Amino acid sequence: MADKLLIRAYNVELGDCIYCRIPLAKVTNAGAVDFHMLIDCGSWGSFAALKSAIEHLKTGLPDAGHGKKRLDLLVVTHEHKDHIAGFDADLFKDLAIENIWMSTAMDRKHPQSERAFALQDYAKRAMRGLAALNLELGPELQDLVGLYGVSNDVAIETLQQTLPADNGIEPGYVHAGDSAAGLGIRLKDTTIEVLGPEEDIDGYYLGEEPDSSLRGLEATAEPFKPHMVDGAQPIPTNIGLADFRRLQSRMMSSALAFADEAGSVINNTSVVLLIQWKGKRLLFVGDAEWDTRFKEKKKNASWNVMWHLHKDKLEKPLDFLKIGHHGSINATPWNDAEDGEQTEPSTILDAILPQTRSSRAKAVASTLRKNYQSIPSAALLVEIGKRVQNATVYEEKLTAAGIKLRDLPFFAEREKRWLGSKQPLRTDFEGLLSDHSFVEVEIES
Amino acid sequence: MTSKRTITITKDALLNLYAARRFIDGSVQVDLELKIPFDVYFQDPLFAKNNPDLPTFDKAFVPWEPGLADGPTSARFAVVDYNGDTGALVPPAKWDEDTRHFADTGGIYVDGAYLEEKSDAIQAHQVHVWALVQRALDFFESGFGLGRRVSWAFEGSRLIVVPHAGYGQNAFYDRQSKSLQFYYFDSGPDKIYTCLSTDIVNHEFGHAVLDGIRPYFIEAIGPQTAAFHEFMGDLTAILIAFRNNDFRKYVGIKAQGDLSTDTALSNIAEQFGNAVRGRPYLRSARNPRKMSELSDEQRPHLLSEVLTGAMFDIIFRLSRYYIDVRKRTIPQAFWDTIQRMQQMAIQPLDLLPPVDVTFKDYALAVLRMEQIANPSDPDNYRGMMMDVFLWREILDKDEVDELKKPRQVFERLVLDVFHDVEEFSSSRAEAYRFLDDNRDRLFIPANVDLIVADLYVAQKLTRQARRLPKQVILQYIWREDVELKGAQFGRFDGQNTSLLCGGTLAFDQNGNVLAWARKPGPRCYGSGQRKGDDVDEREEGAKRLEAFLSSVAARVKSGRIGNILGGAKGLLGSKIPPLTSREVDGALRFELSPHFAIHDDSEDDMGERQWQISS
Repeated sequence: MADKLLIRAYNVELGDCIYCRIPLAKVTNAGAVDFHMLIDCGSWGSFAALKSAIEHLKTGLPDAGHGKKRLDLLVVTHEHKDHIAGFDADLFKDLAIENIWMSTAMDRKHPQSERAFALQDYAKRAMRGLAALNLELGPELQDLVGLYGVSNDVAIETLQQTLPADNGIEPGYVHAGDSAAGLGIRLKDTTIEVLGPEEDIDGYYLGEEPDSSLRGLEATAEPFKPHMVDGAQPIPTNIGLADFRRLQSRMMSSALAFADEAGSVINNTSVVLLIQWKGKRLLFVGDAEWDTRFKEKKKNASWNVMWHLHKDKLEKPLDFLKIGHHGSINATPWNDAEDGEQTEPSTILDAILPQTRSSRAKAVASTLRKNYQSIPSAALLVEIGKRVQNATVYEEKLTAAGIKLRDLPFFAEREKRWLGSKQPLRTDFEGLLSDHSFVEVEIES
Repeated sequence: MTSKRTITITKDALLNLYAARRFIDGSVQVDLELKIPFDVYFQDPLFAKNNPDLPTFDKAFVPWEPGLADGPTSARFAVVDYNGDTGALVPPAKWDEDTRHFADTGGIYVDGAYLEEKSDAIQAHQVHVWALVQRALDFFESGFGLGRRVSWAFEGSRLIVVPHAGYGQNAFYDRQSKSLQFYYFDSGPDKIYTCLSTDIVNHEFGHAVLDGIRPYFIEAIGPQTAAFHEFMGDLTAILIAFRNNDFRKYVGIKAQGDLSTDTALSNIAEQFGNAVRGRPYLRSARNPRKMSELSDEQRPHLLSEVLTGAMFDIIFRLSRYYIDVRKRTIPQAFWDTIQRMQQMAIQPLDLLPPVDVTFKDYALAVLRMEQIANPSDPDNYRGMMMDVFLWREILDKDEVDELKKPRQVFERLVLDVFHDVEEFSSSRAEAYRFLDDNRDRLFIPANVDLIVADLYVAQKLTRQARRLPKQVILQYIWREDVELKGAQFGRFDGQNTSLLCGGTLAFDQNGNVLAWARKPGPRCYGSGQRKGDDVDEREEGAKRLEAFLSSVAARVKSGRIGNILGGAKGLLGSKIPPLTSREVDGALRFELSPHFAIHDDSEDDMGERQWQISS
């Protein structure tokens, strides 16, 4: 419909690839036309799913001449695999992209990200070293290692060099305070504002004294360097080999700790977009995380920083929420203790999705329960389900479609208890229920 | 017979003396070099720097063994200096039998001077941490302690000690890898090696010993058992720290002129505690906490403060008594107290139940042990301790009144089938038949498969180094099946688990029962010892089951049960939850994870969220 805003979350397994069409929002010399944007294109799953998503996307985009389709704005929230794996030069060659926005945290030249990059580089080196050893790691840790895979480098290069060059544009790095208008995009009845991350990446998301100091790690390793050996690992002679191997597997790995820390920083420096169209408010949060509260000069999570600095923008009810981090427990602020207490996170949730306004709000989770048992958090989805209109009791729907509930991934531990309650639209379940490889939400003006 | 003579001891003669060492007085052992002194930090390098009027080093007397080897490696410990962050394996310190010294790769002897001179004398650290744990083991095994050799909880006799495991503010004991791991970190300009911190090493070692003597405590969902583990670590650190000769002198100096001995000792402990990095046990020991204030507390460090506080109350009251009534000087009184505390606090550990220990269990064991060692109790130590436990609400008025009732110190068990103590103390199989023949009288359900968890003989000493009668300790356990039914169990709803039940019976060599600590289940039927006993037992069992279920629900609610994430290359320490669940033979077991980090629990209770990996 011409007068409805469309959000289409492609089913790319555990990842995000989200198309948004804002009707007649783009101002051109020839009048107003639809504004087409894509937020992220990545997944932990197959490239094939991403490919079909983009192929499908192209079918709905306007012609741009020379056999290309026009995409007005490409937003890349952060550089994790499940948001960038799809950025392949070949796949995007038929798209004429007018603007590329990436998180300021992805700009290597940004002076206020120096420490964050130092942390990330360390994590990258350590995780690649780990990957090269080809050791047995649990599935969640495999992913932590996978976050730093070489394929990410290719995607980054595509985003920061190839695609801009192919499209004759400069890559844009955005931070809180930026907006479409401020960055030269002329829109009608619409504003697109960036609420996060803050420009001072190191200051807000790493804090004055990061828990793990890389400098400390380097300095304290000095006495051990003379005993480092290239090649075969020396074995102690006073304990057995099996005991030594087991010992190694039960020591605290700084490498993993830093990788996890870096991962958290990257999530928290996701681009958070607030789109306002004809009085409707839509929030796309990437993988932004929340914490108990904002802490001055310490490591902070994105939601708390936004609440602290941009409360005026955030504290009004939403008409749409792209549920963060695939429904993870720590990406949508709420009272996870579920004890009725009022906390800062629960206050935020009540502000953006008040229960009294549930008939007007909608939400989508682009997710799949695979490597991470606990993602999505079904308990969280039920909480959100109380606050949105487009919620479903999946137990009924799935059973009616002949799907054996027991076969759902981690059903007994992670789904069963909550399946009988309403949950917002989930790409994983919707994918089982229909042939479409996407879910759609429409917002009426 | 006062002139000194120098004699040469051949290797054979030495071995002979070593075989007879338990008949040789400690100081003579030192003279004969059957005990070797090693320099260990009194506290740690930073403490030494900040407290120049206190000694830097203490001497740890480590028993010589014929098999001492590079590492150091000894009968019960193997130091492996592997660094997980760099993959480096630091060469072991070398043992020189002729000179009775460890030396580094360059041939330099490792001693206090060496430690002080070279800030990164990493091979000296190997010797340092080894000497500390050897001393701590001796503290437990000596007659003033448990009076017996203790085993580790894992399969194997050598505890692996890793002095420089990697970068981090951490130190922990891990049963799975049979190890004590010590990490290092920087704090401003200072490099802090936890392996150099006497109280951190002693604290972690306390966990290892408790796990060894009560391996089923690790399978505990109730918060008091985890808190007891923390208490054990803190108690070990406190008692060993206070034994230092120079610390006594310090106490004497600092307390001079102070009229109120309570304040003096309390202030000293506080100053000392403030100066000690990382382990706030002394600061927190002088706390006024009672059980009722912490009824919902799940964080073990905080909960343990009640028990640590109680033991501190006892220390101060004893010292006060020695000063006021026995007219001892402050340092003398303090020394007498600390000596006595080793017995009063450590010896009762043998009387604890085999599963699910609570603070009350420990208090009862402490009082019982005092009664056994000191039946007439002219100084009324028991009365004083009961007051303390009452004030802290570890025991209630009814329980104290019951304890004050006069009773026989030694009783015989009412049994259906007599078994001679010589016979049933000879093997677990024999002990099992004794228990099985008497299930009805011993409150053991007929249909459960009974396990003899442990059986040993201990020879403890009194304060005056007289032998206490030998104790035969028999621990038995069984499991009662429990189904977790209901939404409050979250993802465990519908799964089976088990309630650990059992008891510890302590006998003297005549078969009299010295103590009996029981953890019943809800299905105890039988005659018991006296009419109506089985009703009480079942009631207690039902209460235990209820407490167990509500603990599981509480832990689920607060997100404290999770999985340990790791692989061949190590663990993601920051994401390890306090409890894990695993399936054994189709039923769930909830277990304490190795506790990481040496600092206090975080102020924010983050629930399940904190275990979420951010990828």
